[in-house]
Amino acid sequence: MSVSRPCLGYGLGLRSHYHQEILEQSPAVDWFEIVSENYLVQGGKALYYLDAIAERYPLVMHGVSLSIGGPHELDMQYLKQLKQLAGRVNPAWISDHLCWSRGNAHQLHDLLPLPYTEESLYYVAARVRQVQDVLQQPLVLENVSSYVRAASDEFSEWEFLEALSRLSDCELLLDVNNVYVSGRNHGFDPWTFIHGLPAGKIRQLHLAGHADYGDYVIDTHDHPVCDPVWELYQRTLEYLGPVATLLERDDHFPPLNELVDELDKARELGASALTRRSLCA
Amino acid sequence: MRLNDWQLAFERYLLGENAVASDALGASLIGGPSLDVETGLAIYHNAYRARLQETLRSDFPTVWNWLGDEEFDVLTAAYLRECPSSHYSLRWLGAGFEAFVLRHLVPEQSAPLAELIRLEWAFTLAFDAVPGEPLTLTAMASLPAEAWPALQLELLPSVQWLSGRFNSLAMWRAVKAEAEFPDSLELEQPQVCLIWRADLVCHYRSLEPAEVHALDGMVNAGWSFAELCAELAVTLKEGAPLQAVSWLKQWVNDGLVCQRHTF
Repeated sequence: MSVSRPCLGYGLGLRSHYHQEILEQSPAVDWFEIVSENYLVQGGKALYYLDAIAERYPLVMHGVSLSIGGPHELDMQYLKQLKQLAGRVNPAWISDHLCWSRGNAHQLHDLLPLPYTEESLYYVAARVRQVQDVLQQPLVLENVSSYVRAASDEFSEWEFLEALSRLSDCELLLDVNNVYVSGRNHGFDPWTFIHGLPAGKIRQLHLAGHADYGDYVIDTHDHPVCDPVWELYQRTLEYLGPVATLLERDDHFPPLNELVDELDKARELGASALTRRSLCA
Repeated sequence: MRLNDWQLAFERYLLGENAVASDALGASLIGGPSLDVETGLAIYHNAYRARLQETLRSDFPTVWNWLGDEEFDVLTAAYLRECPSSHYSLRWLGAGFEAFVLRHLVPEQSAPLAELIRLEWAFTLAFDAVPGEPLTLTAMASLPAEAWPALQLELLPSVQWLSGRFNSLAMWRAVKAEAEFPDSLELEQPQVCLIWRADLVCHYRSLEPAEVHALDGMVNAGWSFAELCAELAVTLKEGAPLQAVSWLKQWVNDGLVCQRHTF
């Protein structure tokens, strides 16, 4: 089953740094993506701004703590809170990452890669179905940046994502920057990755910046998007057609208007990619 | 290695003091064209510590300022070794920091430090607590005269009640104001400080002993307004009702209290 893709247009990651400015300036942003955990609180400023911004813009919920591949039982309390938050903001969809972020005993607070094996595949697929049963909607899972990979891999990452979406009916959030970062670190061709995904399952795209150390690249979300990622983004849109696009920034926050300018660049590049697509159709 | 064993080995590596992987973990991974396994793993190892210590620096800026980078890092590394994160949200990472300091340092060292940790943590608790329903002057004005004697109060959920023996508040203020950091001092008299959120903003206020006694009676001992007036009459005689109303108005204006309803 493929995604009927309501394209939300071009969005920004909502960060508390920009809450007040967003209310004051009503920037030309089509939608915002929240980090769900930042709003799983009982009161205070975060919820005040969330409610006010939800009145003006469509929202998407993006989590970092689901730990869908973790060696622990799913945290039902967390899922319950997530569902309550969804009731509050009515998100267009709910996403998290294909990763594990909690170990046997402790929270690890990172997006750790999984071995892409049959064992992982069936384990994660069963847990995705469990989550979807609770949330009563498809889960959207994002590919992560990684710095090691398992020698036991039986699938490439894109083959794993394809199989997972088929087995569990989850949808995909394609982070174009993460594909680039992991491609550089592990030596695969980013386009092979993107082209290997089930196009009809891709609900959303992420764009972000990274830190380039020459021999390797770290996904830091503290720089503007780099040219090779823009090129990959255009090629992706040319291939997929319109997909909701989100620009993330998590550190070294520039003035809001600079981020909106960067988002406008995504709009322009996206529009020209879609024009090329229609000319070739 | 089975998935679970592999994750256990990875977790042990991340939580280990040094970025040294077990042979089994090392052998289970492969690097890339110019990123070897050791470096790739070290990126995760560094990120784990950096992320957690950054959170603690952000939640305890005055403690950080007092101890300096090196001592703060040593103390928080020891804390994280003994109390690794157990909540999915980093917002709760510092919840056990005060208790850890009390357990691990000698009392002369731990008492002022733990008090400062408690103060900074109180601000985080006030910041995102349940809002509650503050009592307002308008609501008080509409209280019928016969309801006043039985009026009872509760503190709103965001209010944190701290009893301090040291100049923790002066240290906290110095860091906020980027002013000269004072030496640690024991106060002549212990002091109660309230920290709370009103209109989305955190506030704090030190209370004189007489006001502490009155507020404690109302919100902790469950006095009614009539009992408050009677208690104050012991020392203030006929001035008691005026003082009681004055404090009540202050607590309401501050956004500290809600009405206690007994059913």
